[in-house]
Amino acid sequence: MKTLGKFGRFGGCYAPESLMPALEELEAAFLDIQNDDAFQAEFHDLLQHYAGRPTAMYHAKNLSQQLGGAQIWFKREDLLHGGAHKTNNAIGQALLAKRMGKSRLIAETGAGQHGVATAMAGAMMGMPTEIYMGAIDVKRQAPNVLRMELLGAKVNAVESGGKTLKDAINDAMRDWIANTHNTHYLIGTVAGPHPFPQMVKYFHQVIGIEARQQIIAQAGRLPDAVLACVGGGSNAIGIFQGFMDDTDVKLIGVEPAGHGVHTDFHGAVLAKGTFGVLQGMKSLMLQTDDGQVLNTHSISAGLDYPSVGPEHAYLQEIGRASYVSATDEEALEGFKIVSRSEGILPALESSHALWEAIRLAPTLPKDTILLVNLSGRGDKDLATVREALGG
Amino acid sequence: MSRFAKRFAELKAQDKKAFIPFTLLGFPTVETSKGILKTLIDAKPAALELGFPFSDPVADGPVIQAAVTETLANGYKLPHAFESIAYARSLDADIPIGVLVYYNTILSEGADAFFQQLKNTGADACLIADLPPEEAEEVKPSADLAGIELIFIVSPLTSADRFASFSQYAGAFLYVVSRLGITGTEARYDSRLQELIGTIRQHSDLPLCVGFGISTPEHIQQMKVVGFDGMITGSRIIQVIEEEAKGNGSLADYLATMMQSV
Repeated sequence: MKTLGKFGRFGGCYAPESLMPALEELEAAFLDIQNDDAFQAEFHDLLQHYAGRPTAMYHAKNLSQQLGGAQIWFKREDLLHGGAHKTNNAIGQALLAKRMGKSRLIAETGAGQHGVATAMAGAMMGMPTEIYMGAIDVKRQAPNVLRMELLGAKVNAVESGGKTLKDAINDAMRDWIANTHNTHYLIGTVAGPHPFPQMVKYFHQVIGIEARQQIIAQAGRLPDAVLACVGGGSNAIGIFQGFMDDTDVKLIGVEPAGHGVHTDFHGAVLAKGTFGVLQGMKSLMLQTDDGQVLNTHSISAGLDYPSVGPEHAYLQEIGRASYVSATDEEALEGFKIVSRSEGILPALESSHALWEAIRLAPTLPKDTILLVNLSGRGDKDLATVREALGG
Repeated sequence: MSRFAKRFAELKAQDKKAFIPFTLLGFPTVETSKGILKTLIDAKPAALELGFPFSDPVADGPVIQAAVTETLANGYKLPHAFESIAYARSLDADIPIGVLVYYNTILSEGADAFFQQLKNTGADACLIADLPPEEAEEVKPSADLAGIELIFIVSPLTSADRFASFSQYAGAFLYVVSRLGITGTEARYDSRLQELIGTIRQHSDLPLCVGFGISTPEHIQQMKVVGFDGMITGSRIIQVIEEEAKGNGSLADYLATMMQSV
């Protein structure tokens, strides 16, 4: 390893010895492509012509007017091919895997968006793809399971542990440990052992780079705050990255409070988590006092994870970003308000960040700008929303 | 001389190999696990390898993952593991005891306190499944202070230049995985094992014990021929315990069969 990928006391490379050679190989390849013109050209060509970048920057005027305070802007990652920001990373890592001579892709998925993105990349690049998905998520995100299968991927329902995202990651890691010779594990968030947190951020930083240029061009200045939902934290890191050095721009992550952070049913890791090692990284996590990882709850499967990307834990610790939470009910309210006011069905994940903007806007002057990363579209959530609304 | 060093020296003098059974501490319940520890020790194996249950054991296969889930559901807490180690030690003052732990368990206690408790309860060595040598400096001073040796894993993919980083930390024995992958009973050994032993021998004099997929006397014979000093059986023991609970077979008989072949 050239570095151990630390973010302060978080991050690192806490993996079984059987994975270390593969992680070393991956780190070398990742360092290599950052200065490789041919790779960069192919990656950006695919982002533009296959995935549809740049995505739009939209001033949500109706919503802003309705709330009567700050101006709310959306970075429209919901318009990216596949329906969420996940495609950036899937294309980047699939290209990298191909360059490393790997012939097979595996991935974990919670809501199914990362599984769909990986299945798309696998189909487009002709690589057999297997997706690990918790058995509970397979049921609650059935449309995405069908999408993955139609794209040619094999979906493995994971029956171990809590049968959600954390368990899917465990099984994907086990597959990888056995098959590193021909397989790349395409992790879908800024978590896991080094170099994954840095690499996934690298492929998503395009969100923040575009957003900064667009908001300056369209609004004439930088935003006062950038908001994004945080499960593992990939869309948040992607957009935060564009504003990291703009110290006047507040960075706000919004975690899933589920039934409330004072209950046992939430996923607010940055608020309630404690220091530990899980799935290759040091980070904060929801755990018992003797170190057993707890199951989480969120209405959005994509935020249902008991740990968080190590860089978020670090950004919170040094005070560069702050993290709040929204309950299931609040996220649903955000979903409904944005659907009606702007004609956009946001993903339930993104609705957590939207709710925080909706909550803040009336308390702020009219020339304040809140930029929300609208990280995905809500079509996948229709069944969940229908059930939650009692339909 | 540590218990492991002494035991391996004795075995070498008798031209024998080590059979090292593994079980999960507190499995399936804290009470029944004590009887299992007694059965293991009564079989007179060379050493014991005892696992601390952790909710997310990524280096382990489905058998051990399911056993952990069951153990946690049955009310296991960390003090039960230390009590069990102390119980095993009370049955046999000389048997070397290694433990297998995931790093988060150590962090939850603090490294100094964790290793001290290991020592106090009678354990000799500790393998941390998700702590590669790159990060070993984080625990080495605490382990040294308590007098606990650290065991490291070597895989068929571990390169020669990684061995250098092992040697300054490694004690007791090197745990060689027989194939790429996770723990389990599948016996599909890597063709590079013989070569791997040659490479390791250029860098380390520690005994070499092989694990993953060692579940029958035939497997033990094969690994003796390849040149290992010891064989570790884990997932199969968990299965035998489960089968015995259903009235099929007996752990004592299984262990006797395995012991005969070493």
